[in-house]
Amino acid sequence: MAYDQSVTHVPRGSGASVGISLETKARICRYAIIAAVIVAWEIVPQLGLVPRLFLPSLSSTLAMLMAHSGDFAVQMLVTLQEVGMALVFACGFGILFGLWVGSTLTVRKALLPVVSALFAVPLVVLYPLFTAWFGIGSASKVVFASVYGLLPTVLGTAAGAQTIDRQLTQAARSMGATRLQQILWVTLPASVPTVLASFRLGGALVIVGVVVAEMMMSSAGIGFLLSKYRTQLNSSGVFAAIILILALAIGFDLAVQAIERRWTGGVRNKAARRPADAP
Amino acid sequence: MPRMTQATASIRKRHGTTMSVVGPDHPAADAGKTLDVRDLNHTYSVNGKTTQALQDIAFNVSAGRFISIVGPSGCGKSSLLMMLAGLLTPSEGRIAVGGRPLVKPDPTRVGVVFQDASLFPWLTARRNVEFPLFLRGVAKAVRREKAEEALALVGLERFADSLPHELSGGMKQRVSIARGLVQDPPILLMDEPFAALDEQTRITMGDELLRIWEKARKTIVFVTHGLSEAIYLSDEVLVLSGRPGRILDRVAIDLPRPRSLDMMAQPRFADLREAIWHMIKA
Repeated sequence: MAYDQSVTHVPRGSGASVGISLETKARICRYAIIAAVIVAWEIVPQLGLVPRLFLPSLSSTLAMLMAHSGDFAVQMLVTLQEVGMALVFACGFGILFGLWVGSTLTVRKALLPVVSALFAVPLVVLYPLFTAWFGIGSASKVVFASVYGLLPTVLGTAAGAQTIDRQLTQAARSMGATRLQQILWVTLPASVPTVLASFRLGGALVIVGVVVAEMMMSSAGIGFLLSKYRTQLNSSGVFAAIILILALAIGFDLAVQAIERRWTGGVRNKAARRPADAP
Repeated sequence: MPRMTQATASIRKRHGTTMSVVGPDHPAADAGKTLDVRDLNHTYSVNGKTTQALQDIAFNVSAGRFISIVGPSGCGKSSLLMMLAGLLTPSEGRIAVGGRPLVKPDPTRVGVVFQDASLFPWLTARRNVEFPLFLRGVAKAVRREKAEEALALVGLERFADSLPHELSGGMKQRVSIARGLVQDPPILLMDEPFAALDEQTRITMGDELLRIWEKARKTIVFVTHGLSEAIYLSDEVLVLSGRPGRILDRVAIDLPRPRSLDMMAQPRFADLREAIWHMIKA
């Protein structure tokens, strides 16, 4: 008994560091690239190397953003609401549906080929139909983006649910778990990494779906604004809208990454916290 | 395939009659601890090719006994255990626990300990042990208390907050045993629980299991491919043949209890081992 209690392995520090670690070098390099892009964005148009219509300088873009901040904020809010609602539909439903499809053999065989085939269809061509059905307001954007983000979420989650350790679901079954309990308490936590990965992918597509839909046919939203400035040949307006859309996409990605870190980090922290009286 | 449907029909019929003859409130005092397997046959088909896995299996285990099932690999001993757990439906035959037929997993009657511990890696030892109670909607305080009791029984109360990957193989298997015991089922099924452990830990775990068994007063059905392990632990060893698995013999192990390691060196132990080995080899 004493014998096998002494075999708990605890990870030490992240290894001996000689000089600057690879991680730090990579980080410096990353920031340098971003800084270079920002500097180039300002200098290249200033020097007249590129016509200002094609690329307005960073300062004029930011000035545009400031001058019309109220309008940008209102339109951004519309887009955020649409993205939020579509995320709930696409990812919420997509994850649950994917878990069910992935963990049920017959359903998987029946439905997965259909979902995969649909994924190959360029859904954008259906957007005019969506506006006919749901109008050119927010509803059509939410529905379109939901469908757009749903398929990769379902496929990713189903793939994750399919590869979990079958022993775990069998153990749960031996404890009398119902089908729903197995999905919620075993399949879902066991496939968290793939679920988060597909949430990240699905969410990114939801943002794409909303913005593209707004650009094509709409009366509000940041995509609508971008489209409007384009027809007015207002380049700094277009670039200001692009900056906001980039910020939205990057913000979403960072949020999901934080969730991912929290999950894996939680496991790692507990690993480091050795039981007080262990040998 | 027609054979399978016939078999299913016959199971239904059997269950129907059993239910009417032996009701849920069987009067036998210790009936809850008895396991009764009758006329069990199992065939499965893969790509249209039908294979018989188990043939004419019939045995019973009385309350509080420790029995092992041994046999050559592929003889269907693990399948048999999964059937006793209600996880696999036999093509034909009847399994009753405490006088009542068992058709689906019922952790209040049968607890299962799997070969590779099968702990949920995202839950602490305590939450793993609580899990079967959680599924049944037991209140949090009660759950916690029972889980702590079970962990104390297997000597792991100090590791309640550890995650599975922080525990050694032997400790994981003890958590798994605690999880099997937590609902207090009269029968504990164990599917080669120590197979993945090293020799030394396996022997330690064997003694540990005997201690738990004596304290918890359970009926244990233990599947293993280790003959010494089976003889050392059991009151009786059920010897299965190669596929299709049939019961070759039930060998009563008349070594005195408590068992100790030096018994393995005794001639009686060697004789038993020799006898079982010959049965399996033939």
